[in-house]
Amino acid sequence: MCLNPNEHSQNPSHFEDSDQQIAHPAHRDLAWADYRELIEGMTFFDPHIHMVSRTTDDYQAMRQAGIVALIEPAFWVGQPRTGLSSFKDYYSSLVGWERFRSSQFGIKHYCTMGLNSREANNEPLAEQVMEILPLYIYKEGVVGVGEIGFDDQTPAEEKYFRLQLELAKKAKLPVQIHTPHRDKKNGTERSMAIALEHGLDPSWVIVDHNNEETVKRVLDQGFWAAFTIYPFTKMGNERMVKVVEQYGPERIMVNSAADWGISDPLAIPKTAALMKMRGIPTETIRKVTYQNAIDAFGKSGQIDLNDFGDDTSQQEADKFHGNSILRGGQQLNPSKDSLVIQ
Amino acid sequence: MSTNVQQRLWTVIIANTLASESEWLESQCESTPLELMTAFVAAPRHLRKTIVLLDHTEIDLPEWPEGVELIVKDWSLTRLCRVWLLIQLEQMDPTSFSKNIETLFDTAEINELVALYSALPVLPYPEKWLFRATEAVRSNMGLVFDAIAIQNPYPAQHFSEAAWNQLVLKTIFNDKPIHLLYGLQKRQNATLALTLSDFAHERWAAGRSVAPEVWRLTSPFMNERLLADMATLLASKVIENQWAAALACADSSYPPAHTLLAQHPDLERQVRSGAISWTNIEFNDLNTYVPQP
Repeated sequence: MCLNPNEHSQNPSHFEDSDQQIAHPAHRDLAWADYRELIEGMTFFDPHIHMVSRTTDDYQAMRQAGIVALIEPAFWVGQPRTGLSSFKDYYSSLVGWERFRSSQFGIKHYCTMGLNSREANNEPLAEQVMEILPLYIYKEGVVGVGEIGFDDQTPAEEKYFRLQLELAKKAKLPVQIHTPHRDKKNGTERSMAIALEHGLDPSWVIVDHNNEETVKRVLDQGFWAAFTIYPFTKMGNERMVKVVEQYGPERIMVNSAADWGISDPLAIPKTAALMKMRGIPTETIRKVTYQNAIDAFGKSGQIDLNDFGDDTSQQEADKFHGNSILRGGQQLNPSKDSLVIQ
Repeated sequence: MSTNVQQRLWTVIIANTLASESEWLESQCESTPLELMTAFVAAPRHLRKTIVLLDHTEIDLPEWPEGVELIVKDWSLTRLCRVWLLIQLEQMDPTSFSKNIETLFDTAEINELVALYSALPVLPYPEKWLFRATEAVRSNMGLVFDAIAIQNPYPAQHFSEAAWNQLVLKTIFNDKPIHLLYGLQKRQNATLALTLSDFAHERWAAGRSVAPEVWRLTSPFMNERLLADMATLLASKVIENQWAAALACADSSYPPAHTLLAQHPDLERQVRSGAISWTNIEFNDLNTYVPQP
């Protein structure tokens, strides 16, 4: 299905049931396997991906495709939370278990911490979450407050958005703004106006889930513009190529936002290959798929390029204990094509 | 908490920090417990990512008090300073200390958990942290498990036999080197030795191997069943397995073990002469899950 750029606003959000996804299967003549050599040797940074919903197969595929680091924003997990402990355990998993899981595949895992806009509407719970949030935002590897912003654009959402902007200012952390799926243009404008009203430097704010209709205003006001390559409901990567052709690489970054819906953890390497194929300069590709995200979220002081690499987990383990954190014998790349499982 | 523990840690900290870093640490002690807990969390923002060196400080360090010890080996500076901050937290507010520690555990990320578990041997009321310590053994996060298992005196000093045996078995299961467990010899027991035999049989049935040094835990408890394992090891094509069996038999006071060893005169000679010792088979890079050819 070729996405019509004018139709995106009618598409369902990625967290809603979508029969359309089944009704319009994607079809492309270009096979990823035929084009992946175009990005041979390139490294990528995915600044928005929800790994708690992904499998070890995804981690392996991501590493093989050149992804060396990622950011997992705190978000809604699909099932609404009913108590503070669910939030606490989720936040802890972002800096605990998921961080470890990622390290096993040589991918450096960062996160942003925040109360998402959907659950900001459960005010009694939101109040409690705001009390524990300061415990998490100062943690090692927390590169921002996010993803926060608007969903329905209710007064409660605005209240907690503003409170968290103040928190980010106090902690000297960048902000990752989730822009709404419905009434996106207004929601994006409103998010930026509020951020400026709170005195945030737009170069510390990443406005996410942009499209052709929102990007100009975001860039003109000095914010970072992130684009989510997500089948059916957000950007397609052919459209992304056109955006980069039109606006160039400055302050633009690409992410996958892969989560528990039909999404693609290889969105960035695939988009890079497509850009390469369409003749976009390598340096431009590097900026939008790697460097810009590091420059933006690196303002947190929490990103150290020395932590990236083929065997990050091994290096860290060596540093701290002189022995491997990997269970020896665990093959990181067992053959998926083999009938035999050893 | 003993002033010696504090002084000892502070001596090492001073030798490893810049003035700005040690001043930041000292200033945290003049704050509130909540701010001190935030300092524990935010420590990496104020400290360099370096590894603590002990060489030039070892001479002047105050003695550890009886039954209390930390092995600060290959620690990051942050890990050491966080342990020190936890001791300050106890002094600042002894009544809320347990509650504060529980809060830190409940919200900790990986490196904070490492620091918390590293501090257990020097925290007051050590028996209070038994459940937490066994939770680290249950953890599948490698660094967290290592923090309680590797060169941490707490388990050997406070774990029940069952908890200790779980720690040893999980260390082996995780392909980590058991010689880095503190108090390994002192806590060996018959139940563990026999469980190791069962474990080895499962591994062998799966075509996998067992780290040879685990057999060092069997010699005081050698019996007919374990001796059969020794015979299996002596017949192995892997020389390290033969060494392990020879060493275990030689260390044992079970006469049939000596009879068995005598059937392998070359090995017996090497073991008796000290040409082979357990240190020869203390491997840190184990890989026992790969099927044997």
